[in-house]
Amino acid sequence: MLIYSLKRLALAVLIVSVAMFLLFTMIYLIPGDPASVALGPRATEAMREALLVKMGLDQPVWIQFWNFFVNAWQGDLGTEILSNRPVFHVVMEQLPWTLALITGGMVWSIALGIPLGCWTAVKRGGLADRLIGVFSVAVIAVPSFVIAIYALLIFAVSLRWLPAIGAGDPGNLGDQLLHLILPSLAVGLGWVGYIARMVRASMLEVLEAPHIRTARAFGLPDRQITYRYALSIAILPTVTLLGVGIGQMLSSAVFAEIVFARPGVGKLVYDAILTRNFPLVSGAVLVTTALFIAINLVADLIVGYLDPRVRSRL
Amino acid sequence: MKRYTMTRRSFLAAAGAFGAVTAMAPRFAFSQDGSVLTLRSYSDLQILDPAYRLALPEDDIIRSIFAPMVIPQAGDTWGWKAIAVDSIEQLDDVTIAFTLKDNIGFTDGYGQMTAEDVKFSIERIADPAMESPYAGDWSALKEVEVKDKLSGLIHLKNKFVPLWTTTLPTPASCILSKRAMEELGDKVTTQPVAQSGQYILTDWQPKQKTVLKRNPDWAHEPGGFDEIHILPIEDPATAERGFEAGDLDYTWTSVSSLPRLKANPPAGSVVLEKPSLAYVWLGINQDVEPFTNPNIRRAVQHAVDRQGVVDAAYFGAASVGNGIIAPGLPGSRDSVTYEYDPDRARALLDQEGANSLSVTLDILNQSERLTAAQVIQANLADVGIACEIKQNDSGTFWSLGSKDGDYWNKLQLVLSRFSMQPDPSWATVWFTPEQVGVWNWERFNNAEYKALHEQGLVESDFAKRDEIYRKMQGLMDESGCYVFLTHEVVGAIHRNTLVPGLKPNGESLFSEFKPA
Repeated sequence: MLIYSLKRLALAVLIVSVAMFLLFTMIYLIPGDPASVALGPRATEAMREALLVKMGLDQPVWIQFWNFFVNAWQGDLGTEILSNRPVFHVVMEQLPWTLALITGGMVWSIALGIPLGCWTAVKRGGLADRLIGVFSVAVIAVPSFVIAIYALLIFAVSLRWLPAIGAGDPGNLGDQLLHLILPSLAVGLGWVGYIARMVRASMLEVLEAPHIRTARAFGLPDRQITYRYALSIAILPTVTLLGVGIGQMLSSAVFAEIVFARPGVGKLVYDAILTRNFPLVSGAVLVTTALFIAINLVADLIVGYLDPRVRSRL
Repeated sequence: MKRYTMTRRSFLAAAGAFGAVTAMAPRFAFSQDGSVLTLRSYSDLQILDPAYRLALPEDDIIRSIFAPMVIPQAGDTWGWKAIAVDSIEQLDDVTIAFTLKDNIGFTDGYGQMTAEDVKFSIERIADPAMESPYAGDWSALKEVEVKDKLSGLIHLKNKFVPLWTTTLPTPASCILSKRAMEELGDKVTTQPVAQSGQYILTDWQPKQKTVLKRNPDWAHEPGGFDEIHILPIEDPATAERGFEAGDLDYTWTSVSSLPRLKANPPAGSVVLEKPSLAYVWLGINQDVEPFTNPNIRRAVQHAVDRQGVVDAAYFGAASVGNGIIAPGLPGSRDSVTYEYDPDRARALLDQEGANSLSVTLDILNQSERLTAAQVIQANLADVGIACEIKQNDSGTFWSLGSKDGDYWNKLQLVLSRFSMQPDPSWATVWFTPEQVGVWNWERFNNAEYKALHEQGLVESDFAKRDEIYRKMQGLMDESGCYVFLTHEVVGAIHRNTLVPGLKPNGESLFSEFKPA
């Protein structure tokens, strides 16, 4: 298990390094003058030049990249150009809101997706199986921002059951949970479909396995066979899928954070790109990339822990 | 003794529970009492220094927490209202006398506000070493002379008419504590100390909320609410839905939503429509082919149906504008020199042998701009000019015409919008020869225009200023570089339980909001 973990960790470091290179290249290719955007029309030429120097944009590109690379690995993501606050601090302020959002999305997708997948596997071929199949494909196909807007219009504007904007009072857990329901549903609903389809397919395979037939022959109750003996095996591919799902949810979080006016890293990056706040863009994207890779690493390690066959393959 | 063993099932259950609990970071609080006003700003605050502020929402917060000498007057006419001063008057062209109210204190133990603080606050903005983008507001300042503890004189180098319209009623007259600034650093950040206004900033949750509370030590006209919660929401549609869901008490609306909201306002709300000071125009770069030919520029002026463009883009809510200076200000016009006349446009193009022109029109990627651009595209096609619309995000758009970039010599047509303060010089300044390749993307270069701009800065007679600024816009017409479209409108919606404090152009003054 130790060698497996070390190999996965080395791979993660390599991926982060490549991601940093790609990120820097993309930022460099974006047109627009960050100093003019940041300082506005009243800034003088001297002020604009001073800001470019402060951002390091007066240096040759390869020096900019090298500084970015070395500093990032040392944990220094630079300083936010407008407020002069450390980028790492600014990103970390927003990260918990995004984590809460994708955790909420995961809760929706697991809480609905796994039971639906199990149920349709047990009732395969029936009307419920077909209807849930259509539902699963439908929620996968509809973009999360469409779900977000309709959920907001129905539950917040028309019915007024739930708040429409914001993330709730930071000191009030109940308020935060209320504010989390709609955005997390918007982020997680598509994954209900993915997980339901994945669990159904895995369950159908496992339900035909010899040990399940043996359990049936021994007269164990269907419920016990399904949830205790079949699901515990069928869930394994879903754990890996959830790792990928978190990455997708990070993308969806941008829309949810804008539509629901929530704080979060997605909105932070979106605003930073519009204002060409390059240190903030690179810092925030790097943190989320590292987070995504770390989550996938953890998912791989969990699967390795749960299934010894996987450990022997790497 | 029971031995603990971890099974796969218990591992998954524990991991799930741990994730849920840590993500929520449980902390508990009780709801607050008192009157709370919740309103929207279009951006989050980034800096709270009067000398380095970046956006309008910051202006409003700065004015609320650092007492300014005066603020703009709320209502339908432009004027000012004294806040920190008992009196302020212009003694002659270059001298302004002021006396502070007696008992205004700074928080955090920084004592009483004095004339020394006024001198420090004004002179630091004007100081070239500070490199404040707002140094121009005090460009005419010679010095501030302290007469005694509470009174002093502002001495100008020369007469400066915009002082009373676009300098004093802005955060450029906010008064900071000299002692606090000297002790704590040369800039106010997002965590202000030594606050002195009607409200004090007590909490800033980045990207989520700014909380102002009524200043308990403010001994003069109090703020209207115990607390003001300011939510940064960039997207007006999101804010409108937030208002309709009951999460906001006041918000600006998009112009496109105004007809719907006016026809069917949410229960218990009031929809407002205010004239804007902004100006929108189609710019024509005179240094790029084919627009180096003045007759082709003129053809475009005649080809564009301004009424049609404005009706389509603003759903009938806005009217056509005739220049860069909004109605009500000196220099505002009722018409332009070159009106919609497609036959004349065709004739000019025929005369120049330009019968198969292809041009590009750069716009910001907003729905109103795109609609306007599409009508312009159709108008140009009608006279035989093929027009390709190029949409840009804000970061790209605002650098298109910069002389430091590589696109200014490809930029042909551009749909632009600028906002301004209630003085015509704020509009005309961007089109002077010095601004060519900075913000003057049409590269309009006219010495007479520049001379008139400088003349307008020192002319205080309304009729004479009116004439100066009309003449300047006439020169812009004559250049063929401009098709003036509209001044837009500002839409807002608020609960009928409050009276919003708004400038005549609809911009908010947080400290002037009152319960109905």
